[in-house]
Amino acid sequence: MSQPNTTDMQKIETASNVLVLGGGLAGICTAEAIAAQGYPVLLVEPGEAVGLKAESRPLNSYSQSEKDTLNKLVEQVRSSENIEILEKTTLSCATGVAGDYRVWLSGQKPLSEKQVGAIVVASELIRNPLNAAYGLEIGGPVITQTDLEHALASETKKFTGKTVAFVVGFGQSGNPLVMERVLRSALELAQIEGTTVYVYVNDLKVAAEELERLYLKARDNGVLFFKLSQAPVIETQENGISITYSDPVILRDISAQADFLVIEEAMEADSANAHLACLLRLDLGSEGFMQTDNVHRYPVSTNREGIFVVGGSRQVKALDQACMDAENAALQVRRLLGDGTRLAPANKAVLDIGKCTFCLTCYRCCPHGAIYWSTENKPVISLIACQGCGICASECPMDAIQIGEFSDKAIHDQVQKSMANTGKAPNIVAFCCQNSAQEAAQMAADFGIALPEGLHLIQVPCAGKIDLDYILNAFVQGADGVLVMACHPRNCKSEHGNTYARWRVNDAQNRLSKAGLDKARLSFVTLASNMGSEFARIVTEFETWLRDL
Amino acid sequence: MSTEAKKVMVIGGGIAGLSAARELSLNGIQVELVEKADFLGGHAIQYACKATDNCQQCGACTVESVLKDVVLDPGIRVHLASEVIKISGSPRFKVQLGRVAVSDNDDTSKICQEGYEKNPVQCAAVKGFSKHNAIYRTADGRLNPDICQTADKLEVDAIIWATGFVPFDPDQKSTYRYSELANVVSGLDLERAKRASGSVLRPSDGKPPRDIAFIQCVGSRDERLGHLWCSQVCCPYALRSAMALKHRNPDANITVFYMDIQNTGNNFTGFYQQCRNDLNFIRTIPIDMYETDDDRIRTRYMSETDGKPVDAEFDLVVLSVGIMPGNDNKALADLLQTRLTPDGFAASTDKLHLTATDQKGVFLAGTVQGPKTIADSIAHAGHAAGEVIRYLRRAS
Repeated sequence: MSQPNTTDMQKIETASNVLVLGGGLAGICTAEAIAAQGYPVLLVEPGEAVGLKAESRPLNSYSQSEKDTLNKLVEQVRSSENIEILEKTTLSCATGVAGDYRVWLSGQKPLSEKQVGAIVVASELIRNPLNAAYGLEIGGPVITQTDLEHALASETKKFTGKTVAFVVGFGQSGNPLVMERVLRSALELAQIEGTTVYVYVNDLKVAAEELERLYLKARDNGVLFFKLSQAPVIETQENGISITYSDPVILRDISAQADFLVIEEAMEADSANAHLACLLRLDLGSEGFMQTDNVHRYPVSTNREGIFVVGGSRQVKALDQACMDAENAALQVRRLLGDGTRLAPANKAVLDIGKCTFCLTCYRCCPHGAIYWSTENKPVISLIACQGCGICASECPMDAIQIGEFSDKAIHDQVQKSMANTGKAPNIVAFCCQNSAQEAAQMAADFGIALPEGLHLIQVPCAGKIDLDYILNAFVQGADGVLVMACHPRNCKSEHGNTYARWRVNDAQNRLSKAGLDKARLSFVTLASNMGSEFARIVTEFETWLRDL
Repeated sequence: MSTEAKKVMVIGGGIAGLSAARELSLNGIQVELVEKADFLGGHAIQYACKATDNCQQCGACTVESVLKDVVLDPGIRVHLASEVIKISGSPRFKVQLGRVAVSDNDDTSKICQEGYEKNPVQCAAVKGFSKHNAIYRTADGRLNPDICQTADKLEVDAIIWATGFVPFDPDQKSTYRYSELANVVSGLDLERAKRASGSVLRPSDGKPPRDIAFIQCVGSRDERLGHLWCSQVCCPYALRSAMALKHRNPDANITVFYMDIQNTGNNFTGFYQQCRNDLNFIRTIPIDMYETDDDRIRTRYMSETDGKPVDAEFDLVVLSVGIMPGNDNKALADLLQTRLTPDGFAASTDKLHLTATDQKGVFLAGTVQGPKTIADSIAHAGHAAGEVIRYLRRAS
């Protein structure tokens, strides 16, 4: 990696221990993987005990030897000298930044404060029976998927000679994990003497390893699948259940009887995630998961450096995916904490405390939670946690923050210089996010696509760095048009940089209008790094429009 | 750390190989990255951004970003147009590399049939030439052996097998007449065309299509072909592509023929609702394609409501081809002395160790092990890198 001169680097000490929140299997795998890297782990479980019991994913999809491996892993974690386990314990409060988090834990022992270098959240999924979607109460012949799994583990005779019907995919979109549970149970039932098994299903969610095979095996073992678009009508009767559905093949309503109806369960994010996200200053993503829907967070990162999410904290996937996440989190932890010291460029984000009025704007707008308040009551930008996006720098009302090589002066100079030797073509200043538009521009150039003669690219670390002043100054310096080119919404590496840029463009457009200029001379565009030809099209169309003015 | 003097070979420079190489290098391990094609990035570097007003999380841009990191990483030595021809010794593997002849005209995709000379921009896209791949080229566009073919013998302490997949060859389902009909294209053709030109045009006349059909499960979940797996990526890419097309051209009339729609990520419920509003969904898979006199594609399917046959005409038909095991898997399994699954993907030891193989020091990453999305390939590659580091530590 190319880094500036070492004299400009600052050495930062990091704490070496890691907090893992959640003692289900994802947490256990993570604790083991991190401890194996040589970092002490504090494994915190809100429930009674860490281990398989805390696991929300059913184990019936694993072979005996795989289960043995899991049990061995639990034992290994329990007996590891490098892992401290705190059960019936929860996180009460967290402050600090990557390398130096302070966390307060409450539980069996009185509230205790710990310092940790990194935090991994390993929430488990929760199960939620969707009987309400069918207007049914659980009880008697109406059982949940979990009830069925328990029954199949202990009293299979109950089902001998019986008809069992499943409904799945009508109370929810569902997912392969939900489907796998249904398919495994259906197959197991079909192998009990004299059973008849119906599965009424919307979309078969088979997008996981071996699931299509499992479906075919269930079918070949006599499970009858009815793929419907509408939920069947279900009525409970004295001697069982009546199911009426519109048959998609013969195109008329059919009624069937069953002794048991198995209600589908959602497998979803733990509602406790929201509170935890709040404590840790994480942005929540869709459906209550603790990772935003942002491809730059792959696989286990969050908006905050040093806080990682694994397993059920980030998506609905089977246990093998949780193992994968655990190993990824361990790698990230190692990359962050290294041997206890980190070097970071000292000028990454520099705060001029003399200009600072302690207004808290930077603290509030930093998408990475990289700014904290020191004991002397001053804002401090953590050089480890800071991603250098510059949102704080352009939001700061006092211009008290400067970002590395992207200082206000450097950008003003660059704009001025680009205007110095211009020809007859319209002058276009394009402020380009280095993560998207700048790459796209380079791609267009490399593909040999013609770009406007008067196009001047100004690279910024994130569109959130594009100050209102930069835009207005570009016009003052002689630009005929200005483009602000950001990442697509939900694709910003700093989550909201593009949103800030859009707001500022709106603001600047209003000012242009008031000054009597056509506000369309300033345009806000979103792009991805691989959109070379689109980049060329956009700038060319803009140039044509400017020429025609 | 004792792993620092160690060296690992990654076979395959697609998203999984790139991600694994990068993770290893960040952990102080030297990497020899061997890629058979004459560019890095594999299939995924050929995919187009599918954003509408918002990013739709296809992940194509992350490939660009990892590729850049790898190219700029001095800890990773890249061998292009190179393949492994012999491996001997253990635990230190002695590897012999051979050169793969690369022709600019070997790409038979519809976009590149004109050849590189006639259509450099589009073919550059197909070849994954961003400024990042350009580093391996001379000014006249040829591969520079002084940069990317610097060794024919390697000695490594572990191997990550990450050679990916091949897209299903739609000609195997002959009634779709893929090779014959210009306006029947594969999902990959669509991606490449969009990446190259920024828009989707009909191959026959270069005009924007209005009536477009996506046909799902082409080559996947197909008992006749013995393909008893869901490719996991086709519903996501088809739906995202369809929504991006609709966004660009609101007059487009897009129909998705499907068996079962698979999820596209955590935001699936909301996304699918939008798809349902904007696209037509028909739960059946049409079989036969005919060309009409006015250069459209006619097909026929059974109506869901009354069971009667319906004739439908489209300007463009996109076959959502799935993920098939690589053509070299058998040969590589022999070289690496490890197993394949009955489907032909590389076999992992068990469900809890999806990156481990029966062979000590040999690990798997990405779709060589089975269908995966870009996101899952990255996670799998990270897992593989982690397992390699553990292995090297144990071995030392």
